[in-house]
Amino acid sequence: MFEGLFQFGHAISGFLDPLSIGLILLSSLVGVVIGALPGLTATMGIALMTTLTIKMPSNQALLVLICTYVGAIYGGSRSAILLNIPGTPASAASCLDGHALAKQGLAGRAMGIATSGSVIGTLIGMVFLALFTPVLGDLALKFGAYEFFWLALFGVVIAGTLTGDDPLKGWLAGLIGIWCATVGQEAIYAFDRFTFGNRDLAGGFNLVPALVGAFGMAELLVAAREKPVPIKINPFDSVIPKLVDVTRYWRTILRSGVIGTFIGILPGVGEDVAAWSSYAAAKRASKEKEKFGKGSIEGLMAAETGDNACVPGAIIPVLTLAIPGSAPAAVLMAAMIIHGVRPGPMIMVEAPTFVYEVVAMMLFATIGILIYGLTLTGFLIRVLSVPKPIIVPIIFVLCVVGSYAISSRLFDVWVMLGFGVLGYVMRRAAFPIAPLVLGLVLGDLMEKGFRRGLVLSDGELLPFFTRPISAALWITIVVVIALRFPAVRRTLSRLVPWRTSATESK
Amino acid sequence: MTSSPDNAGAAVLAPPPASPRSDAIAAACALAFALLVVAMSWSMDRLESQGGSLWTAPGLWPGIVGILLGALAAALLVRSWRRAAAIGWDSAEPNDTPLVPTPRFVAAAALFFLYGIGLVGRGLPFWLGTAAFVAFYVYAFYEGPAGRSRSRRLAMALAIGAATALVVTLVFERVFLVRLP
Repeated sequence: MFEGLFQFGHAISGFLDPLSIGLILLSSLVGVVIGALPGLTATMGIALMTTLTIKMPSNQALLVLICTYVGAIYGGSRSAILLNIPGTPASAASCLDGHALAKQGLAGRAMGIATSGSVIGTLIGMVFLALFTPVLGDLALKFGAYEFFWLALFGVVIAGTLTGDDPLKGWLAGLIGIWCATVGQEAIYAFDRFTFGNRDLAGGFNLVPALVGAFGMAELLVAAREKPVPIKINPFDSVIPKLVDVTRYWRTILRSGVIGTFIGILPGVGEDVAAWSSYAAAKRASKEKEKFGKGSIEGLMAAETGDNACVPGAIIPVLTLAIPGSAPAAVLMAAMIIHGVRPGPMIMVEAPTFVYEVVAMMLFATIGILIYGLTLTGFLIRVLSVPKPIIVPIIFVLCVVGSYAISSRLFDVWVMLGFGVLGYVMRRAAFPIAPLVLGLVLGDLMEKGFRRGLVLSDGELLPFFTRPISAALWITIVVVIALRFPAVRRTLSRLVPWRTSATESK
Repeated sequence: MTSSPDNAGAAVLAPPPASPRSDAIAAACALAFALLVVAMSWSMDRLESQGGSLWTAPGLWPGIVGILLGALAAALLVRSWRRAAAIGWDSAEPNDTPLVPTPRFVAAAALFFLYGIGLVGRGLPFWLGTAAFVAFYVYAFYEGPAGRSRSRRLAMALAIGAATALVVTLVFERVFLVRLP
């Protein structure tokens, strides 16, 4: 306990130099702006910033990425409140009450609520990050090839189930991602698969250009398709958060913080699900249910606390299991690997101080969003007023240069373009992108777990199902998939009355 | 997640947003791709001469992925067929968007590819290609306030293009020490 506190204090002091403080302020600002601009997501922002920070020392690069991540998730609330357009998918729930408050002339108060909710949410998640990571790290040491196979599969299945409206398409997207991870030389014999004799393809798809394409270019293509419309912003009052909003709804804040963090820990389930779940839980528990959707302070507070608490939560499985809790966390994990950090079960053995450095980074990111939450409104409105046709080509240039910068190969630019087209087509056909990313990131781990497991058991499949942790994981996967079948749902609805009433209330 | 806020847990029960035709096309493409993956995985060398067995064969894992992909694609195809029988092939949900590209999209995508494949790394200085791409894009897609003359639009587009090229080149080459294409 005290050892952890000492390491946390040491990590904080390590970032108290002018360069780090400058990086915190700059990257939080970049994050907030990316988050506020509709169409630019946190995943895209982190992928782009990964390419920009490739030559930095690892600690500073990861500080920049975490500040961008937290800033982007918070920044999305600004456009949700002011424009009724979520800046990132995580802020979709904030549109309902945030914009309703703005229409009542209370946009400033709504932004204050978003700031206080986001700051407290990140802090709650940060406490869980500090407390849970060492515990989960110890548990992760018990994981072998079989467990990692199921855990990676669990991540893709959960992402496919919860990140879209259609699980079937989510699972298909996840499988496409898993297949993409098989391209190139395989791990046992270095045998070329699906390379068609191309030497660049033998190395497989570089993760960051693929993610920049799937999120960045695909989003730009969507933005390019639509004709820009002039934005209309309601007049607003003071953005300084009111203490009474925090003290009155402390139960909601605490509940949303815990829900957000735990949804973050679930592999592949991101900030948007955390925000909606916190919102739904707050509505169920509220004494003022009728106000939800019409400008409820409690509803906005719950959504904003939940999505920001999810950020540290999503980093917990990255550090302990090398399994990302969300799509932006997947990019963050890729960046950690690029910078020589080995996330996974050995992290508490190999680099115990790193975990507390991440906690310290999260604290600085929280301070960053608090500063910009109180000061940045006018500037953000000017940024939101910049027409899309001016922003789109500039971001595309960054996508191209960033993809090239990773390893100075034109091939990576083509990978970015290819994944951009794939991401765009999938979006148009209503396929979620997050499972594709999870499949791409976890595909390699899944295959290694599967083949190593088979080699260890001499081709026997039984150990995949009989080891205790493996059994818990595969049973959960089966339950998650079975619940998507109408017959199973109907049976459950008859057996469990609350499920029926929940469905009807929709 | 585009679920209802009232009931996020049950939101996944909502009907899919794309039209049956769009789903059927996507499913048919995925099915064809899955068959190709399975065929290629099957024909991969099993490396028995190097002591390889069935479970170490390089094609085993992609083959399994291909089979699962094919099964899910077939399920999507059957589901789109059933939905079409009930509501018609083109009955899209309210939030559905057509797959047919608009001229605006085709022009933007063509510019992206021209820049990414034709201008970058083909001998043209990076700053020049970038300035030309950004200026052309802004001029073509941004009309500006009503009444603005063509020459003023062109001047603004050129200024944005030149500023972008200058800042990106300086930041990447001088600050981040990245060699540009």
